[in-house]
Amino acid sequence: MEQVENPLGNIYISYRAIASIAHKAALETYGVVGLTAKNLAEGLAQAIVKDPTLGVDVEYEEKSVVINLFIIVEYGTRIKSVANSVANNIRFKVEKAIDIPANNILVNVHVRGLRISDTD
Amino acid sequence: MSEKHSKASGLQPGLKDEVVLDGQELKNLVEGGLIWLRTNQQTVNSLNVFPVPDGDTGTNMVLTMQAAINEIFKTPERNVGKVARDIAQGALMGARGNSGVILSQLWRGFARALDNFKVMDAQLFVRALAEARDTAYKGVVRPVEGTILTVAKDLTIEAEKAFSEENDLEVIFERVVRAAGESVERTPELLPILKQAGVVDSGGKGLFYMLEGMLRTLNNLPLEVQETFIQPIAQMIDFDEHLDIEPDQDYEVVIDFQPKKPLEVEKFYDSLSHIGTSIQLGEGDDYYRLHIHVPEEKRYSPIDFVMDMARVTKVHIENIKDQMLRKENSDPPGTELAKPEPGQIAVIAVSPGEGISKIFASLGVAAIVEGGQTMNPSIKELLESFENLPTDNIIILPNNKNIILAAQGASQASTKRVAVIPSKSIPQGLNALLQLDPDGNFDEIIKKMNSALLDSDTGEITIATRDVEIDGVKVKQGSVIGLLNGRLVASQKTLEKTCLALLKKIKMDEKERITLFYGNQISEDEVNNIVEKITKAYPAHEIEIHAGGQPHYQFIISIE
Repeated sequence: MEQVENPLGNIYISYRAIASIAHKAALETYGVVGLTAKNLAEGLAQAIVKDPTLGVDVEYEEKSVVINLFIIVEYGTRIKSVANSVANNIRFKVEKAIDIPANNILVNVHVRGLRISDTD
Repeated sequence: MSEKHSKASGLQPGLKDEVVLDGQELKNLVEGGLIWLRTNQQTVNSLNVFPVPDGDTGTNMVLTMQAAINEIFKTPERNVGKVARDIAQGALMGARGNSGVILSQLWRGFARALDNFKVMDAQLFVRALAEARDTAYKGVVRPVEGTILTVAKDLTIEAEKAFSEENDLEVIFERVVRAAGESVERTPELLPILKQAGVVDSGGKGLFYMLEGMLRTLNNLPLEVQETFIQPIAQMIDFDEHLDIEPDQDYEVVIDFQPKKPLEVEKFYDSLSHIGTSIQLGEGDDYYRLHIHVPEEKRYSPIDFVMDMARVTKVHIENIKDQMLRKENSDPPGTELAKPEPGQIAVIAVSPGEGISKIFASLGVAAIVEGGQTMNPSIKELLESFENLPTDNIIILPNNKNIILAAQGASQASTKRVAVIPSKSIPQGLNALLQLDPDGNFDEIIKKMNSALLDSDTGEITIATRDVEIDGVKVKQGSVIGLLNGRLVASQKTLEKTCLALLKKIKMDEKERITLFYGNQISEDEVNNIVEKITKAYPAHEIEIHAGGQPHYQFIISIE
C-alpha cells in the first residue's frame, strides 16, 4: 500500500488502484491488443469475475512501484517499440494520477502472445 | 468552346486526366515525403505536451521512414505493389516509438491493398488509404481520438468523398492533404491534454508532413527549404554550433536591414536560395536579420541583393571554414578532476555544459556526469561515476530537480556512504560545493552544504518552446522567459529585457554578487551587451561572467 503524507492525515493507494490505471493505459497503447492472466489460477478466477486489473501485477520495492504487465501484441508491429511505448505510457499515466515520480515507476513488460488479424 | 480544348478531349476521350503511379513514381513520392518530414522534424519535435524541449516524435517518424526508404532506395522495380510492400517491410523493421509503430501499420495496410497491382490509380489509392486506416485501428483496443489515428481516419473520409466526385489522383491527393492538415488542427478539441499544453498532436502533424511532402513532390515543389517564415531574432539557430559544414558553405553572412517597402517573404527566400543555403530570417523590433551560408566567391552577393531593396544597418561576414579548422586544432584544455584519497570526501556533480564542468572541476569535484534539463543521467551512469573511486564517502550534487531522484536511487543502490545534496540548479550546486573540505567531517560538510543551498537565488533564461500562461505570466512561443528558482517570473522579447525583469523580482539590496553563466547558443557580443546593461542597473553589485557552455539556457544566473 502506497502512503502519501498529507497535512490532514494519510492517503493510502492500493495496488489495485494502480493496477487499474496501468490496465487502462495499456489498452490505450498502440499495438497492445489485450492483457492476459499471469498464471492458470488467475485465468480461472478471471473466467468467473471480470477483473479490471487482469494482466497487471503491482508491488512496492522500497520507494519504487514495480508493475509487471502481461500483454498480447498485434502481429505485424515491431514488438520492441510497442513494449517501450506501453511502459512509457503507464509510467506517464501513473505518475500523473498518483504523483509518484516516473523515475520510481518500473514497468516489466511480458509479451505473452501475438494476435494475428491479417496475414500479409 | 475553344478549338484547342475540343481537340484535346477528342483525341483521348476519358483518358486525358487519368494519372497513374508506378513503383518508381511511388518511390519518388515517398522519398519526397521523408525529406519534407525531415525538413520539418524540429517543428514536430516541439509539439510536446511538456514545456521543456524533449520531444522526439519527429525524430522517431523520420527514422521509421528512413528505414522504409532504405529498403527501396536502389530498387529498379516498377510494380507498385512490390515497392509498397518493401516500404511497409522497412517501416516495420525500423519502427521507432509509438508514432513510428502506427506509421508502419498504416504502410502495411496501404501495401496490402496494392498487392499484385502494377500501377496505382485514383480508385486504388483511395482503397489503399481505407485499408491503411483499418489496419492501423486494429492495432489498438481503445483508440484514443485526437491522435495520428484520427488524422488517418479523417483523411480517408475525405478521400472517399473526393473520389465520389472526381477521378483525378492529383486532385484527390490535394484534398487528402488538406483534410489531414485540418484534422491535425482539430486534435486539441478531442484530446484535452493537447489543449492544456496548447499544441496539436505531434504524430498527426508528422503524418501530415509526410503526405504533404509526397504531394509537393507530385507538384515539383521544393522540399529542402523550410516553409518561409519569420521568427524572432532571439530564436534564430546559430549554425556555428553544428560542426559539420556542407561544401559551399564556407562563409556565413549576417545582415541587419530595414526594408524600404513591406517584405515579400516568399520572393525574398526564393531569390536568396539561388545564392546560398541555411537561410534564416529573423524579425526584431524595427529591423530584420538575415542569416545565410554562401560559397566564398558569393560572399558579397547577399549584401548586394539586400541593398537593392532595403537599408542595410549592419553586416557581419565570417569565414566559418577557417573557424572550424581553428576549433579542431585547439582542443579545449582537459578538465582536471580531483583525485580523492581513501577516506576523503569525493563530490560528484551533474553538469549540462563544458564550461560549467570546468568550473566544477576547478572547485574540486572528483567526477562529472553529463546531464541537465533534457538529458537526465540514469542511476547507472551516476553509479558508474563514483563506484571506482578509492573513497567510500561520496556526495552527489544533482544540480537539477529532475535528477535528484536518480541521484537518490544511485545512493540507495551503492554500498558506499552516499549523500545527495538536493541542489536544483547550477548556482545552488556551486554554492554547496564551496563548503567542501575533502578531509572534513562527512556529516558536518553535508549539513553546511544543505544550508548553503538556501543562500542564493537562481535565475534561468531560456526561449519558450510554445505559447503558455503560467502563474499569470503570458508567454508567446519564441519569447525569452526568465525563471527564478524554477518559477516563471518574466517573459519579454529580448534577452536583455528578460534578464533585467528577472533581477527586478529579487531584493537586490540584500544581495552582493551576480554571476552569469552563458550558454552555447549566445554570442560574446550579446553577452557583453547584456552585462553592460546589468552593470549600469546595479552598479553596487559585483558581477562575474563565465562561459557555461550549457544548451537550451542562454543564461544561468546566480544571485547571492
